[in-house]
Amino acid sequence: MSEKQLVVGIADMKICRGPQKLITYALGSCIGICLYDPMIRLAGMVHIMLPNNMEGSNSNVFKYADTGIPATIKKMEIFGGVKSRMVCKIAGGARMFEVQPNSSIGNIGQRNVEAVKKALAKEGIRIAKEDVGLNYARTLLLDAETGAAVVRSFGRKELVL
Amino acid sequence: MKKYEEMSSLEIDVLREIGSIGTGNAATALSQMMNKKIGMTMPEVQILGFNEAIAKFGGPEMIVSGVLVTTSGELNGIMLYLQQLDFINAMLEEVLVEKIESFEQLGELEVSALVEIGNIMISSYISAISKLTGIHVKLSVPAMSVNMLGGIMSVPMVELGHQTDKIMTISGKFLVDDKEVYSNLLLMPDVGSLNYLLKKLGVLNE
Repeated sequence: MSEKQLVVGIADMKICRGPQKLITYALGSCIGICLYDPMIRLAGMVHIMLPNNMEGSNSNVFKYADTGIPATIKKMEIFGGVKSRMVCKIAGGARMFEVQPNSSIGNIGQRNVEAVKKALAKEGIRIAKEDVGLNYARTLLLDAETGAAVVRSFGRKELVL
Repeated sequence: MKKYEEMSSLEIDVLREIGSIGTGNAATALSQMMNKKIGMTMPEVQILGFNEAIAKFGGPEMIVSGVLVTTSGELNGIMLYLQQLDFINAMLEEVLVEKIESFEQLGELEVSALVEIGNIMISSYISAISKLTGIHVKLSVPAMSVNMLGGIMSVPMVELGHQTDKIMTISGKFLVDDKEVYSNLLLMPDVGSLNYLLKKLGVLNE
């Protein structure tokens, strides 16, 4: 691949323009949120771990759905993105282990999905496509040229969102 | 309360010793079970950021099999036993007299054998450190997943990562018939339990 891929780590956020790509690896119960402004080919991706920020302002905002999503949108707006044009795609929120008795490990993925949807609704952004839940990790790639998101996982076909 | 990154070298040494006793007991248990020579490397104590911790154990997209047990009682945390095909085959050869070429070939029988091996090793590890330190530890039923390392390791990070951006791993590797294979047994304690444990052992320097 000749185009540059920017890696978004865990609890991390990056933005880029076409023809660059953003990638985040092996989302388990974490969620990767892709935001794309097609008019100016501006892409943003955030990799959140937990639903709600209860650490306060001196924490890493991108660790949490409720603070990471608004911070990503704000960053994109600084670079000319317009919220009303943004297309959103999400992947992740799996349950990696069936732990008995039912502990928080079991449903953190589900709680993350709910928190992400709530945070996006608050911003007035609709989710265009999603690949969430089940029990496997996903690698998520966002092409800033086209806005296409690709989900790669172990033992399954590649999925284009 | 001390954070992971605030631990002194003495405190880290004590944790390494605890890891060494746990890993040693797990190795003995495995050796008796398999009737094979099982060795171990000196356990390491590492305090890393989330992304660095995943890189250290092989990178986010590497496929591994992981057996996970949560610990509660006086030690809250997660034990994770990570394995790759070289180790799995050394075990399956002994137990089921077969080998597999890829993770896709793991059937129900193979999975239950691997869960049981993981369970016995984790139980021996915890029972050794529980005896040594006098703390009472409860274990969950083991669960197994074959998937990307990043997804598997994110489970303890999410569970223990509420108040910290780092994770502590006390990890030991095993050698089968003197050959190094990918077989990592990790203890990841939460910060509160770590302070409690060090205080109980009289080494916490507040």
